[in-house]
Amino acid sequence: MRTIYFSLLAIIPAMLILSCSKKDATTTSTTTDTTTTTDTTTSTATSDCSSAANTTAKVVCLAEAFEATLTSTQLSSLITTYSSTYAIKWSNLPCGSSCRNGLQYSSLSSTQLAAAKAIVVAASGTAANEGYDEITQIIAADDVLNTTSGSSSYGSGIYFIAFVGTPSTTGTWQLQFGGHHLAVNITFSGGAVTGATPRFEGIEPKSWTSSGTTYAPLAQEQAAMLAMLSSLSTSELASAKLTAKFSDVLLGPNEDGQFPSTKSGIAVSSLTSAQQALVLAAMKPWVNDADSATAAALLTIYSNELSSTYIAYSGNATLDTNADYVRIDGPSVWIEFVCQTGVVYPSQIHYHSVYRDHTRDYGNSFTF
Amino acid sequence: MPNSVILLDIKSKGVAAEVQLPLSELELALGHKVELGPALRAYLLAHVRPQSLEGQPWTVQVKDLHIKPAEQTATGPYNEVTATLWMEPVNGTAVRNFSLHYDAIIAEVSSHKALVSVRQDWERGKYGEHTSEVGVIKLDVKSGTIEPLIVSQEQGSLWKGFQSMVSLGMQHIAEGTDHLLFLLVLLLPAPLLVRQQRWDGYGGTKYSLRRLLQIVTAFTIGHSITLLAGALGWLRLPSQPVEVLIAVSILVSAVHALRPIFPGREALVAAGFGLIHGLAFASTLANLQLDATRMGLSILGFNVGIELMQLIVILFVMPWLIWLSRIPAYKYVRVAGAVLAGIAATVWITERI
Repeated sequence: MRTIYFSLLAIIPAMLILSCSKKDATTTSTTTDTTTTTDTTTSTATSDCSSAANTTAKVVCLAEAFEATLTSTQLSSLITTYSSTYAIKWSNLPCGSSCRNGLQYSSLSSTQLAAAKAIVVAASGTAANEGYDEITQIIAADDVLNTTSGSSSYGSGIYFIAFVGTPSTTGTWQLQFGGHHLAVNITFSGGAVTGATPRFEGIEPKSWTSSGTTYAPLAQEQAAMLAMLSSLSTSELASAKLTAKFSDVLLGPNEDGQFPSTKSGIAVSSLTSAQQALVLAAMKPWVNDADSATAAALLTIYSNELSSTYIAYSGNATLDTNADYVRIDGPSVWIEFVCQTGVVYPSQIHYHSVYRDHTRDYGNSFTF
Repeated sequence: MPNSVILLDIKSKGVAAEVQLPLSELELALGHKVELGPALRAYLLAHVRPQSLEGQPWTVQVKDLHIKPAEQTATGPYNEVTATLWMEPVNGTAVRNFSLHYDAIIAEVSSHKALVSVRQDWERGKYGEHTSEVGVIKLDVKSGTIEPLIVSQEQGSLWKGFQSMVSLGMQHIAEGTDHLLFLLVLLLPAPLLVRQQRWDGYGGTKYSLRRLLQIVTAFTIGHSITLLAGALGWLRLPSQPVEVLIAVSILVSAVHALRPIFPGREALVAAGFGLIHGLAFASTLANLQLDATRMGLSILGFNVGIELMQLIVILFVMPWLIWLSRIPAYKYVRVAGAVLAGIAATVWITERI
């Protein structure tokens, strides 16, 4: 009644002051700051923490350096309590801050931004097209989408950094970094990396050229999976093929702990050692996104578990058409890779992938 | 990838469901191009299986199928098949509590999801403006099964439905600037006398009151007639010409407020244009597709709401009109009001044509 009364009062003067009759709700647009596509490590203003003993010590040192550049308001946005509610709040969608924690890149000063990037660099792998190099390219692709689509929901400024729990070399906390097509979740506990997953990686366009350089950050992922599937004989392919179809990954955001109770596809144990090597090689483009020590440790585990690992695919084994899908499911490792019709480039496919670990997602801190 | 969307309209005897199936996902599920024919109807009947909570299957009919463009967050534009289904419990059991066994597309495409919402539930005051989410139907990856969704809606009542229609009617007037503007502009010169085809001085309190009441009553009678006829489906006009005519009605009354073009016949004009405004009111109700009892209560409630709001406005405006029209400067108020309303009406006419 009250609101009706007020709107009524607004109508009487409307007789005299007439504006437009039906106005669309104004949408708030996100300002995108366009950073350069290739960015090398940190600025001189940031302490380089180079004396740190290991990855965790370096990441914590850089996290504290970043915190020192922030206002108290920014700090309270950056750091949440350590709980599953915040830990699982990530997405691959261009949904900005509505589906993510933390501070948005475009809200940071250049000093703050450099300090934030240094943290992600220190927590990431260093191989070409993997780790931090891959991250910068996925972010750069969002500027391409912004330009092509003209939509402000894409852009390199709409990436977020958050700490779930307070960074320390003794306690447990999680580094979150991500935006459209990217979700990095790294858990640290007692001075060690205890979880490099869940990790979402996607790309649209899957390849583009800028200033004479061609970028295809997930080409290695597609190539490794393709090599694995291509090594299978016709009968092996038949065993590996799933009847179900997939137009996206199954275990994306908010699907934590939902691993199938029964593994599908073909057992890696039934394959030759050369084929098994290709299965392990197909995991590497995801595992190597973590810092090198963590990646090496995880690969050893996944290698030891190969005999209980399954691979499966759906659609075509060529991984080049909408709904072509491949999965590696081991006692620990879980990787899904899928080709989807493009959103901004509907005549092309684009890639989605998720890397999880049955027992090490979020450092095994939560049960789902 | 876009999701399927299921919008439920809870009616007295059953549930109407609008099922929106993204074409690309449906084609992936079927493995071929989609044709809007018996095969698709059979597919839907096999995959949409509502049951009572005791497990008694409901009957399902596919009423309509068509393809239209759509867009969801971060999907880009795409086409979807929209299927209108009628689902009915066999022996008149509760329509608000049922188990929706549904696996269209999801049975074949494991990554697909269907978002289920209630769009209309008249007896609980939901007439389709906002949907309320019931749940998501998707594959349970762990077990590999697709669980049915339990739809359990609170009991409503005819009284609650009626109340919501009263407030819808009030809201319609409070927010529908054009209806109010027409009436207010028509009332603007009502307290004045006419001399030599021009508006002259104040005609006295009794004169003013009588004229104001005549105009308002005539407008009410006019729009009530077409509201009833339109809502019951006896009279149906496309909305565009109705909207244009409403804007024209404002322009005509604005001109009349400047120079008396139909002196003494304001009530007649108000009734005539009331007929047109009533058609616009009716379209709001006609779209609800209710049974006779609920439609009757809706028309009554909606009209009560309209009159209540109109009354509030009149009670607020009348003293000002009568007081202001006594002073010579009222001329400027009248002219300014008429000119501004005329401009607004012209803008609306061009927008709506």
